[in-house]
Amino acid sequence: MRVIDAQTLVRIDALQQRYARALDTRDMAGWAGCFSENGSYICIARENIEQDLPVALMMDDSLARIHDRVTYIAKVWAGTFEDYQTRHFVQRIDCAPHGDGLITVESNFMVAYTTTRGRSEILVAGTYEDAIELGPADARFRSKKAVLDTATTPRYLVYPV
Amino acid sequence: MRNHSALDLRWPAKFNEIPKEVFHRADVFKLELERIFHGCEWHPVAHSGEIPARGDLKTGYVGAVPVLIIHGDDGVIRVFQNSCAHRGTQLKTCARGKADKIECPYHRWTFSNRGELIGVPGIGDFPKDFRKEDYGLRVLRSAEICGLVFVTLSEETPALDEYLDDTVEHIARAMGGDGRLKLLGYQKVAFASNWKEYSDNEGYHGPLLHAAFRMLKFAQGQGVQFMTPHAHKVNSASLSVPDPNFIEDRSVVEGRDPRLPPHNIVVSLFPVTIITRNLDVISIRYATPISPDETEVHYAYFAHADDDADLVEHRIRQASNLIGPSGFISLEDGAVFNRLHVGSHSDGNVAFQKGVRGPIEAPYVLDKGDEAGNLIRWEHYRETMGFARD
Repeated sequence: MRVIDAQTLVRIDALQQRYARALDTRDMAGWAGCFSENGSYICIARENIEQDLPVALMMDDSLARIHDRVTYIAKVWAGTFEDYQTRHFVQRIDCAPHGDGLITVESNFMVAYTTTRGRSEILVAGTYEDAIELGPADARFRSKKAVLDTATTPRYLVYPV
Repeated sequence: MRNHSALDLRWPAKFNEIPKEVFHRADVFKLELERIFHGCEWHPVAHSGEIPARGDLKTGYVGAVPVLIIHGDDGVIRVFQNSCAHRGTQLKTCARGKADKIECPYHRWTFSNRGELIGVPGIGDFPKDFRKEDYGLRVLRSAEICGLVFVTLSEETPALDEYLDDTVEHIARAMGGDGRLKLLGYQKVAFASNWKEYSDNEGYHGPLLHAAFRMLKFAQGQGVQFMTPHAHKVNSASLSVPDPNFIEDRSVVEGRDPRLPPHNIVVSLFPVTIITRNLDVISIRYATPISPDETEVHYAYFAHADDDADLVEHRIRQASNLIGPSGFISLEDGAVFNRLHVGSHSDGNVAFQKGVRGPIEAPYVLDKGDEAGNLIRWEHYRETMGFARD
């Protein structure tokens, strides 16, 4: 039987909350800080996964690429895009020890966005498939995969989800 | 004018001006579907690399018409209307799939993947002159170049070779020389933009918008930029990218394909399809006009059949991060499409300036970064739509 103790769940949820808060406050350094040294972030349409197609919407499969995404947003794209406010809603639906000190966690997520005109809609919905490292100080993502049910996004995505 | 349109729309006399109202008027959009998307143009709908095996299928749209592209069990790729020959029910709802036969759920009419009607329940109660041969799926006129399947809804559209003209060699080059492609995946997005704002600006425009070009010190070398008589645009040039010092993973802008040194090839086919080769990213951007205010774009990405595993992996990683709707060097495009559309509701005209020296006709060679070439697209558009100049 797979048992996760309450203390571990608290640490996992704290990481998910830290992640959501970083994105919703557009604290991109805080977002990058949620990943471990070997961390990776992938945002991909479920439609591609189901057809065995590897192209993602964002493929930051190393910490270097995660740092580069922060650079894209802060230094490359700045001043060109219409900004939007996100709210991430995350619901843990599965959690299991994976060995090597890793915990795998699956969550449903929905991201609402509000435009500069003040209209709110759903940006994307999907699942997170995460592998989380429990370090002595805090928990971090070894890998985070955001799998989008939303095959066609209602606008271009500036920020990771 | 032969095609004179009944719409009340004033087209400015100045050859470099476009009335902003064409970007949002519902009556203009309706006429565009009729005359352009359902008229005498060819529209790419699939590459054979997306449906490589017999029975593979893909769905899409030509303007408002739903289409079904199937690789038949006889090896022939056909394009059908995605609509049952009986009562018109949409047959396939998946983006891609596989089918030996296609069954309509409504009355269970069944078609082979060559489009023949093979099963009809209750045929005993049908009129006596009913013949299954008369009720196959409606095949649309299609043709193929480098594996890219084009369809047209008009019998009057010129032959595909003539229509594509000098774009063909650049399409081939963008697709690895011969079009033997393997699908890597899609990125799909809806822009809050009219299809003409998308096609007028996507693919190639002056580089001022993109800070990445400046920061990366992208330099275009030898190449060509020209417009064809059917209003297609080709930009093709070698590209040099010095070692970037502000990103940690330089693979995102590395050219590793031994068959083609770094290039930027953009073939913008009238009305909305763009075929691109940027560094090692091979992409077809299929676009569908949803309404005057919305355009849906499917970016399909490919590897070449001769790529080794490392090169395929590199193409996947580059395609995912470089040039799509959230791409390192391209995200700003989406931002501009949406802002153009909001701005189009102001009065007056859009005016093209850079490289504009006087009225031009295709074929036309333009200078790097000139926006004058778009005027040939606009002239083709104006004539097709039947809008008389003031």
